[in-house]
Amino acid sequence: MTNHTNHMNSSHHFSTDHIWSKVPPFWPLRNLIAVNPLLGFDALPFDTALQQGHHYFQKKNIPEKMGIVNQVTIKWLQLFLDQGQATIKMPLRDHGFLKAICQLLPFDKKVIPTTQNSFFSTLPTAPEEIIEKSLAFLKISSEAHEEFLTLMLTTLPGWASYINYLNYWKNDQHVPREIDIPKDEYLAFRLLLTCLLWPEAKELFLWGQHESCSKEAEQTLQRVKTNEKNYRDNLVKKLSMQKEQEKLSPEAQLVFCIDVRSEPFRRALELQGNYETFGFAGFFGIPLSIENSLNGEHYSSCPVLLKAKHRITEFPTSQHQAWKEGYQKLSLFKKLYQSVKYSFTSPFALVETLGSLTGFWMFLKTFFPDVAHYLKKHSTGLFEVSSPIATIIDSISFEDKCNYAAGALRMIGLTQHFAPLVIFCGHGSETQNNTYASALECGACGGRPGAPNARALAAILNEPSVRKELLSQNITIPETTYFLGAQHNTTTDEVVIYEHHLPEIFSHHLPTLKRDLQLARAKNAQWRCEQLGRKYSLEKAPIHAILRSRDWAQVRPEWGLARNAAMVIGPRWLTKNLNLEGRTFLHSYNYKEDEKGALLTGILTAPLIVGYWINMQYFFSTLDNVAYGAGSKVTKNITGKMGVMQGNSSDLMNGLPLQSVYKNDKEPYHELLRLLAVVHAPQEIIDRIVQQTPILKKLFGNEWIKLVCMNPSNNKPYLLKKDFSWEAL
Amino acid sequence: MSLILNLFYIDRLAGIMISLVAFIGILILIFARRYMDGDAKHGSFTLKLLSLVCVLAMLVSANHLLVFFVAWGVSNFLLVKLMIHKSHWKQAYRSGSMAGRNFFLGLIFLGCAFFCLYQVSGETSIQSILKISSSDLRIYFSAMFLIAAAMTQSAIWPFHRWLLSSLNSPTPVSALMHAGLVNGGGFLLARFAPLFLERPSLLNLVFTLGILTAFLGTLWKLMQPDVKKMLACSTMGQMGFMMAQCGLGLFAAAITHLCWHGLFKAYLFLSSPSAAQEKKYPFPVSKTWTGFLFSLFGGAAGAASFVFASHTPFSFDSTLILVCVAFIAGTQLSMVLLQNCLKNFPKAIAVSTLLGGCYGLNILVAEKFLAPLSLFQPQPMNPFYLVGLFVLIVSWLWILRKSATQHEEPSTFWLRSYVANINASQPAAETITNFRNDYQYK
Repeated sequence: MTNHTNHMNSSHHFSTDHIWSKVPPFWPLRNLIAVNPLLGFDALPFDTALQQGHHYFQKKNIPEKMGIVNQVTIKWLQLFLDQGQATIKMPLRDHGFLKAICQLLPFDKKVIPTTQNSFFSTLPTAPEEIIEKSLAFLKISSEAHEEFLTLMLTTLPGWASYINYLNYWKNDQHVPREIDIPKDEYLAFRLLLTCLLWPEAKELFLWGQHESCSKEAEQTLQRVKTNEKNYRDNLVKKLSMQKEQEKLSPEAQLVFCIDVRSEPFRRALELQGNYETFGFAGFFGIPLSIENSLNGEHYSSCPVLLKAKHRITEFPTSQHQAWKEGYQKLSLFKKLYQSVKYSFTSPFALVETLGSLTGFWMFLKTFFPDVAHYLKKHSTGLFEVSSPIATIIDSISFEDKCNYAAGALRMIGLTQHFAPLVIFCGHGSETQNNTYASALECGACGGRPGAPNARALAAILNEPSVRKELLSQNITIPETTYFLGAQHNTTTDEVVIYEHHLPEIFSHHLPTLKRDLQLARAKNAQWRCEQLGRKYSLEKAPIHAILRSRDWAQVRPEWGLARNAAMVIGPRWLTKNLNLEGRTFLHSYNYKEDEKGALLTGILTAPLIVGYWINMQYFFSTLDNVAYGAGSKVTKNITGKMGVMQGNSSDLMNGLPLQSVYKNDKEPYHELLRLLAVVHAPQEIIDRIVQQTPILKKLFGNEWIKLVCMNPSNNKPYLLKKDFSWEAL
Repeated sequence: MSLILNLFYIDRLAGIMISLVAFIGILILIFARRYMDGDAKHGSFTLKLLSLVCVLAMLVSANHLLVFFVAWGVSNFLLVKLMIHKSHWKQAYRSGSMAGRNFFLGLIFLGCAFFCLYQVSGETSIQSILKISSSDLRIYFSAMFLIAAAMTQSAIWPFHRWLLSSLNSPTPVSALMHAGLVNGGGFLLARFAPLFLERPSLLNLVFTLGILTAFLGTLWKLMQPDVKKMLACSTMGQMGFMMAQCGLGLFAAAITHLCWHGLFKAYLFLSSPSAAQEKKYPFPVSKTWTGFLFSLFGGAAGAASFVFASHTPFSFDSTLILVCVAFIAGTQLSMVLLQNCLKNFPKAIAVSTLLGGCYGLNILVAEKFLAPLSLFQPQPMNPFYLVGLFVLIVSWLWILRKSATQHEEPSTFWLRSYVANINASQPAAETITNFRNDYQYK
């Protein structure tokens, strides 16, 4: 959002940014970020946006000629945006997109069949001029420019979404010029193809204006409202019956990500002993960029709305050299394999040499995924999650460290009564042969596992100088408290604690905690297996979960964030005794420590927005898995190592695949409802924050998110209505 | 009972093929139990897959012309039904019907061939027909028809379009197709090998078409930006090479090739969902001439070890083509190791010796196992083979040169050829999902 400028081009009757806002951004497969597919419509009331979405994205039967324009567009985009699939790459890519295309198009007999084309030969070079000339050629009146250009994007929405990402959202990701497309060049390219292939494209308006059946959207809305009311009534009734309990000093405190998958696990753990758990955004408030010490590659580990501020390196402490050698050996092996595979003549020898081996390997992977997993692990000996890992956080200044430390503790309301062990538990997932693996990782870490952030915050809080500074800010961390990082594997429910720096005197606390984590794991795995349609005993369930995570044929290794419905912002006692069925994001918050409402503003404008994007992604992928989702995994085809198409070639399928939100081809698993934010704070504070924050005013006023206030004075629920008045429930 | 037994003839060739089909079939069946869990048509998919495996087993062991013909037709029909898994998706339907039309043409070719054979011999037993030695022109024609049928089945140019347009099928179906049915052409030629071995001119024809397809398939494979099209083009190239091996008189080598390639390609298809996570390394480029020269020594080691392991006497006949392939693969491996320093020379020699040895051993085993059928008959060198050899070497040298000069400004000729080849390797227009909402998962 931040880099949007409302820039009006003087010579045009349209605003480029306005046109581009119609399509959402689409992150590449390496870090799939959940996004509201109707992001550009969120200034409209939800029901109107639903109609608009139907109008732009759910219409059927495009004019045949436009289909041909799309086909040629897809072909060239695939070639240009390829990030490493093709060995013989498209020539001239380093000239930039439009220039390369204009030099190659004359040879494309499918576009320009004759050598002389008067339109093409008199083409200007600047994208703006091409846009102007093409619009004139197509005889589009100036008032209709914006609408026509929007249609150029929405008739091929997936690919346009990726270009939107490249232009507005790639943030600090470095994208080389060879695979980057400026927004104007894309529009110019679309128009150019349209002029060449369908000079009468003005007819597209007829299709564009054709009223699509709006009844469908209305019916959807009714269904959604019923779902929401049922869910809300049930939830607030349960919440309003909770009472604050006296706190016993806990054996350990664990801070989990707000992710809906943490809720059932926290509940299972709390049942095992006296543990206090908290919910906090999984990047733990530190915008990091993580560098891999083995290959030097780095990535941002923070929400995409933020920019990574500190680059940190992680490496295994004990066998760094062995790891490095192992890694080099593995890459050498891959290089050898690829050099024979991606060349002329040599592949014929390769298949005969490796054929029997791959046959055997395939047999193992299909019939004995476990054995295959162990073989692979032992033959590479690499990337053990539990290996001791050192985090170098020197790049974070002392001042920043103190800010992160104090900010994190205040945010979750943990400023006193520290337990001997405080564990920051990020989360990651483990799946095999899964195109959408990064969609199961931590959204707050930009589609990456959260362990590095957890380790970094723990290291900061263990520094004596930081603790000393916190003391002056009225946060007293006793010497009897130690912080540790950990990671919750959401596919297997295993929790790995990074305990390698733990001083001797604390080590006696660990065994009980580890035992209880194992028990919680079994319990949660059992429940999750049930959600996946399998009933197992407590002993068998974790084994089945592990099997799912190692199975290369598995299309539903876990349910991810499906069925997400609400975000509860409040203390744990409000939800502790409730079974919330893994449907709620839980953010710890204590209004008493936040008189000015600054913390709550932070929660409502960051984690809640992330939750809202996730909720909308699941919502729309369920609503129409073709228009807003990625379709079935069964026929997917990965293009350019960045996105998914269906079959031979198609639009870039942004959104979630069918298997992530549907039990089978017919029955959805996810339930259609908008995110319900439940805030445990006085109405006046919420009122003030909402009125002062434009984005919240927009989202609540247009009913993209619903909000219920649990008034702390009487613990009664009040619903925020779209006119910002309160309705007692 | 004996009547039924007469309809079938289970020899070693049939044994290999049945094992391959059963292995792949069952593996894919189990894979699909999880991969297609929740799919509305999973039940009928399983049923069709099982029937297909049975029909294929009948096909490869058929001895009666009619049984062979019917099994050929039915197996292809079942494949088409499997391809159109998502029947509401019109592009998938068109992919299937396109393949169906191709297979129907193939069936007609096969029918013509069988009709001619029956006319000449009055026999319906394939084994009896193969024993007849006659110079009747009709046998020549029937052999031509057999070649045509094999070409349609194995996607040999110009019958390759259906294969490149077949990716609207579910991934397990693609795996089965690329590991199983597309090999039908190679099996057909091997089954009727004696007809071809008596007619060298036909061998030359098969070889030429095979090499052309091998070249085009490999070139297109290297250009594709998406994983499945890359795999489809690669299969096309491998099928071309398999046919070329038949054309060399080395039917046994073609059979090993189709088996190992089948397993390899099935694996690649089933693991294609990981394509985005697989890191692609740049093509190895020798920075110095010495590096390249030393790599050639590595290649020579590979070739020598191939000759040694396969027990083929190094002679100036059609086996030279295989030696050349081993040589190129060995050089390619050595180039990776010798890219930056020559210190790795012993390693390079070792690795390419290993590769050449494994490759050679494969050929040896196949040759020995299929020896009773005399399917390994090296042909004397001729101009066709020499041209083929030239194509294999020059295309490889070209990609080396291309990679070394990738930063230079491309010539107009290259731009023109690039676009032409991209267009030639595109799936048929009507099978591309131009508009998102045309896609249907039902």
